[in-house]
Amino acid sequence: MVNALYIIVAALTAAFLLGMLKEERRATAYAITLATLAFMTWISVSWVWAFAQEGAAPVEIFTAGAVPPFAINLRMALPEAALTLMVNLSGLLAAIYMKDSLFRLGRSAMAVFLVAVMAYCGIIMTRDIFNLFVFFELVAISTAGLVLLSEDERALSAGFKYLIVSQVISIFLLLGIVFAYHATGTLNIDGMANASLGLLAGGTISFFMMFIALVAELKPFPANGWALDIYESAHPSYSALFSAAAGTASLYAVDKLLLIGGAEWLPMATGIGIVTFIASSLLALPQTNDRRQLGYSSIAQMGLVLVVLGQRDILGDSTPYIAFGLLVSHAVAKAGLYWISGLVAGRELTDWAALRGHPLLIFAFVSFIGMLSGLPPFPSFYAKWELVRFLAGEGRIALLALILFGALVEAGYLFRWFGYIMKRAAPAEPISCTPHQVTAVVAAVAAGWALGYLWGDLSGRSNLLLVLPLLFALSFLLLDWLPAWVKNTLAIAGMLAFFAFTFAEYDPLRLIFAVIILVGGAIILLASYDAHGRRVGFYPAAMLMYAGLAMLIRATASFDFFAAWEILTVGSYFLILRGKQSEPHALSYIIFSLGGAFLILTGFALAAQGAPQFDIASLSHLTAPLAPWVFILLAVGFMTKTAAIGLHIWLPGAHGEAETDVSPMVSGILLKAGLYGLFVLLMTMGKQQLYGVELTHVMLWIAALSALLGNLMAIFEEDAKRLLAYSSIGQMGYALFGLALMNHLGWLMALMFVINHYIYKSMLFLAAGGVAKRTGTRDMYKMGGLITLMPFSFIAVLIGIIAVSGVPPLSGFGGRWIFYNAILSTDYRLPLIITFFAGPIAFLYLFRLIHTIFLGQLKDEHRKIKEAPFWIVLPQMIYVALLMVVAIFPGIVLRRVDTYLNQFFPEGGLNWEGLEISSNYGYWNPVAIMIVVCVIFGTLFAWLLFVNRKAQKVKQFNIGFSAERPYRPETTHFAWNFFAPYRKALGFLVQPFVTRFWGALTDFLHTGADLSRRLYNGNGQTYAFHFIAFVIIVFFVRMGV
Amino acid sequence: MAYIAMATGFILILIGLFGALTNRNILRMIVAFTVADTGVNMVIVAIGYMHGRTAPILDVAVSAAEAAARIIDPVPQALVLTAIVIGVGVTALMLAYTYKLYEKKRTLDIAQFTELKW
Amino acid sequence: MVKSFSVLVLLLGIGAMFAALLLGYVPDSELNQTARYYADKTASETGAANIVAAIVVTYRGLDTLGEVTVLFLSAAIVGLVLASGHQQGKMRHAQPPSGELLVIGVRLLVPLILLLGVYVFINGHLTPGGGFQGGAILASAMLLLLLGDPLRTFSHKLIAIVESISGLVFVGMGILGIFYAGGFLDNRVLPLGTLGEVFSAGAIPIIYSFVGLKVGAEFSSMLANLSGTEEL
Repeated sequence: MVNALYIIVAALTAAFLLGMLKEERRATAYAITLATLAFMTWISVSWVWAFAQEGAAPVEIFTAGAVPPFAINLRMALPEAALTLMVNLSGLLAAIYMKDSLFRLGRSAMAVFLVAVMAYCGIIMTRDIFNLFVFFELVAISTAGLVLLSEDERALSAGFKYLIVSQVISIFLLLGIVFAYHATGTLNIDGMANASLGLLAGGTISFFMMFIALVAELKPFPANGWALDIYESAHPSYSALFSAAAGTASLYAVDKLLLIGGAEWLPMATGIGIVTFIASSLLALPQTNDRRQLGYSSIAQMGLVLVVLGQRDILGDSTPYIAFGLLVSHAVAKAGLYWISGLVAGRELTDWAALRGHPLLIFAFVSFIGMLSGLPPFPSFYAKWELVRFLAGEGRIALLALILFGALVEAGYLFRWFGYIMKRAAPAEPISCTPHQVTAVVAAVAAGWALGYLWGDLSGRSNLLLVLPLLFALSFLLLDWLPAWVKNTLAIAGMLAFFAFTFAEYDPLRLIFAVIILVGGAIILLASYDAHGRRVGFYPAAMLMYAGLAMLIRATASFDFFAAWEILTVGSYFLILRGKQSEPHALSYIIFSLGGAFLILTGFALAAQGAPQFDIASLSHLTAPLAPWVFILLAVGFMTKTAAIGLHIWLPGAHGEAETDVSPMVSGILLKAGLYGLFVLLMTMGKQQLYGVELTHVMLWIAALSALLGNLMAIFEEDAKRLLAYSSIGQMGYALFGLALMNHLGWLMALMFVINHYIYKSMLFLAAGGVAKRTGTRDMYKMGGLITLMPFSFIAVLIGIIAVSGVPPLSGFGGRWIFYNAILSTDYRLPLIITFFAGPIAFLYLFRLIHTIFLGQLKDEHRKIKEAPFWIVLPQMIYVALLMVVAIFPGIVLRRVDTYLNQFFPEGGLNWEGLEISSNYGYWNPVAIMIVVCVIFGTLFAWLLFVNRKAQKVKQFNIGFSAERPYRPETTHFAWNFFAPYRKALGFLVQPFVTRFWGALTDFLHTGADLSRRLYNGNGQTYAFHFIAFVIIVFFVRMGV
Repeated sequence: MAYIAMATGFILILIGLFGALTNRNILRMIVAFTVADTGVNMVIVAIGYMHGRTAPILDVAVSAAEAAARIIDPVPQALVLTAIVIGVGVTALMLAYTYKLYEKKRTLDIAQFTELKW
Repeated sequence: MVKSFSVLVLLLGIGAMFAALLLGYVPDSELNQTARYYADKTASETGAANIVAAIVVTYRGLDTLGEVTVLFLSAAIVGLVLASGHQQGKMRHAQPPSGELLVIGVRLLVPLILLLGVYVFINGHLTPGGGFQGGAILASAMLLLLLGDPLRTFSHKLIAIVESISGLVFVGMGILGIFYAGGFLDNRVLPLGTLGEVFSAGAIPIIYSFVGLKVGAEFSSMLANLSGTEEL
């Protein structure tokens, strides 16, 4: 291999050569620059290859023919090779990107650029502390110079502020180095480490000075105002390099220094890191300038990696895997985002809506925010998993909670930004891109995915990019150019095929979920045939969600479970975002979901007690005092998905505003993921107690309240789909109630619910969507009398509401029957009453649904509408048939499950004798009930027809009224504010307390951040003051501790 | 002797920092930084000094054989050379920036250059 | 007022830190291991009489290379910063002619100063001094020229060529060290000669001379750029 010193030598030779060229020969100069950067990259690549594939040993590079500490030495080992590769490659891509600016400024700028990249490599490779200082000064000067590449005039003042602060930093660094030299007698880092600097006179203070100076290069809070100004005003490609390379090099320098200081300085690093991470993530919330926000994000990520370095004592050999995973995800993502920012004309976050016409850029953006948020399959996901498991295993819960909080805030503003891109008005100026710029962005995206594959391979667990469902979903990205119906067919075929192949592997419980997810999903996809064109972006998102769901039910290990959970969250977020008014709802959905996901992550990590992963089935082996906490964490996490009361505010908007064929998917299928998780949890952990409180009892109460309040809120809704969404909250409350009863029949009922709810909710949503499509509105008071024009939809809704309400003969009744049996065998009286109460309330809104839409008077503007499109009606009719079948022969579904449940709850099962089912309290004969009801119905119907012949037909407008014309026409419609008396009586129960709570919380964070960011008042002198104050505070904290 | 030089160096650093943090005129800030840099250099040089010894040059007065017993520590002198040059480089850069900033805004008050903030 | 007070408080804190260092400082009575090595081995390994020069150019040559690059960068960036407003050949304000004393003095002194500078860096390996000091002296001669005649311009092209060639020679000598001697920047590519001669110490005088020229050129370039700015 080439001597790594040539990285430095080549850069310097080229820089000096450039000085000799004529000013006009810019093309030659640029070619030399690129060639040198390519050469440097190639050296790094060859070393990485040597270490990774051939197992070469680390190399010490001596200079001047003498050995350290009498001469300077460099080191090339795997970390150095990988880090220099990151630096050189970003340098090369950045130089490609900013071809125009480099040409404008000429060969001097190119020479400075080369030296900057070389200096970062030098910082990484050197083993001599004074040499480190020299390279840092090179970095400082070249940074100050390269900000001039910007076309923003303010870059000049940013560069100057940087110079001021770097002067102060170098004072401390020099003093520290010299006193450390005096104490140890050597300038070599390894030599100093061996000399135990802390024990020598003046050692602590000198180490502290060096440490704080190098940490300052990492831009810790609050001494980082200068960095933000550079990020905001510099050329975007330079900011990309600054973020990726400078942070990387500085972090490695701090890591080297920590070698000298020893383990007692690790908590300090952790403390500074976590404060920076949280503060910068919060301060990013009120930002509107895109580059400044990216700057805050960069600083936050550096803080996070510093925390990882500070946790070296427990992370041990995994430190490189975790630190690198986070670092490399951040570097690639940040560089990519800055490069994209160079393509967008405006500087507001909302100006990025211009990206909308460019699928490639959207995909790039999504990949980048996925990398930053730690979503699978990127390296930061694997790194996050490892970090959390170590922290939980060692009991550092407070730190873990802080890290996850910061991560949630960061994900929040990143996804908010994505919402702006997809939903805001596109600005006047379009994207402008040259091939150079696109090259850099594409390279970043490719690198990100390739690294995700690599990290998966290195993880020792499943490589997510090799899992079939995920690959299937990702393949739709490549197929997005096909027409929608082709993709739809492929999707349906794929899901059914997967189900057919894996059919035999499922136990009865999982089989139910598998049927609902795969076969049920295929049925709902039938409705998507109604779409025209290509529907770009729909299929990857939907398939991602289904892939996550499919992986979820097949997961036996905690890692796979969690990965599947996050995948389905992300996929469903993209689906929900597609609705026209969905921007705020999708955001609250993703925040709640990610919050829940983090709780699940913590729960799993605590349960693992330090192991890399564990079998979910072994959750049953957990004992107190750990077990109840794990139970609570996992339960709350799953309940965010089922929208239990208190965590429900995202659901009405998300499901209500989603597209016609998306609402059934998310309401009918996605909510079941949470139920599945709760099933698994309760199956393995059973009843748990915390401080004497029975946790399943608490769950029971939550379920009862969800049922009651969800149904109550539904009856006051004007919007048909929101009504159905609130109804889902109530129904999930029922299912949760059944689960929490912890007896045989309760679980049976919950499972029956899972099936029934899927069928009728999908059907109702499709019907509502079909009606909304034809009438152009979702408000029920604007409709009426549609029974004659849309008979199929009417039948579907009629069957649906009969099923939901639990009236015989349909399957809802069966569910009710099992439910009452279940409750009777327990002694929870008050929750029982509440849940009973919820039943008739549900009927109120169901009645409203059918009455206001289909019965009553037909509006003028709706006289000519047709039935809903064929493809939307077809699934509804399938569901009607299914409901009938399940109603008459419930055993098809339930019998095997009943037997399966015997292993958990041996008593209390049902007895199946032929067509009749009996329990301890009574019996139920579905066929008989159906026959009876049909006979009665038929008789009455025939009589009605007979009597009707003599009826006098009254035309619609054969009415008269006098007096004033109402100002708000809807107030005269009978369907508006349908349940006004109930609102007067019970309205107090549906005050938006929860919405106000969450709203107040986010407002508090925003206002706090807005006030705090005034700290950065733009004055360079103040920034120097901040730095010195930071030094003093940290010093006194250190001395005090 | 070394203590006097070191103490003076520290005092210079403090004076320089005080000047840099309280003066609003950019040119005065730069001068203050120069003072601070000088202070740092003094401290570095003072570190190497050993009482009763002479400069690290091998000539008639100090031969190669007795060098180890007669000369002071040469390393800080090498370090300070680099430090001085780097300080000059940064100062020159800051002066050039000051000129450009003045050209744009016709003021040397650091508090006026706050377009980038929050 | 508040600002000065808070700065004072901060600096008191820093002062406390410094005081702790100062009070804990005990000067060495014997050379530490690194210094001892240099004291003993410089003459035999590098052949230089000025130990500091040997350290700067050979043992810690990488630092010097970095330092030289720092100057290179500074000069280049100063040129970049000031070039955008710099208009060559524009009518400058007419200056009153410099006093006769200054003009004659310049003519007398500049060659002497240049000579001193060249002497300092050529003899860097023998006497106190070296490339940087010599280069600075050279630059001060340039400054004197500029003070004598503010409208004088230097040929930026010549300066650039001197800078680049000197840098390339420095790096080149270093690379030669990898192939023909112990490592990068090992000065034994040229014969060591006898201690105390001008032509001794291997590559050190060559490198130091070019460093001196480079430093002189870069300082001159900075001075020229700064001097060439308009009166505002």
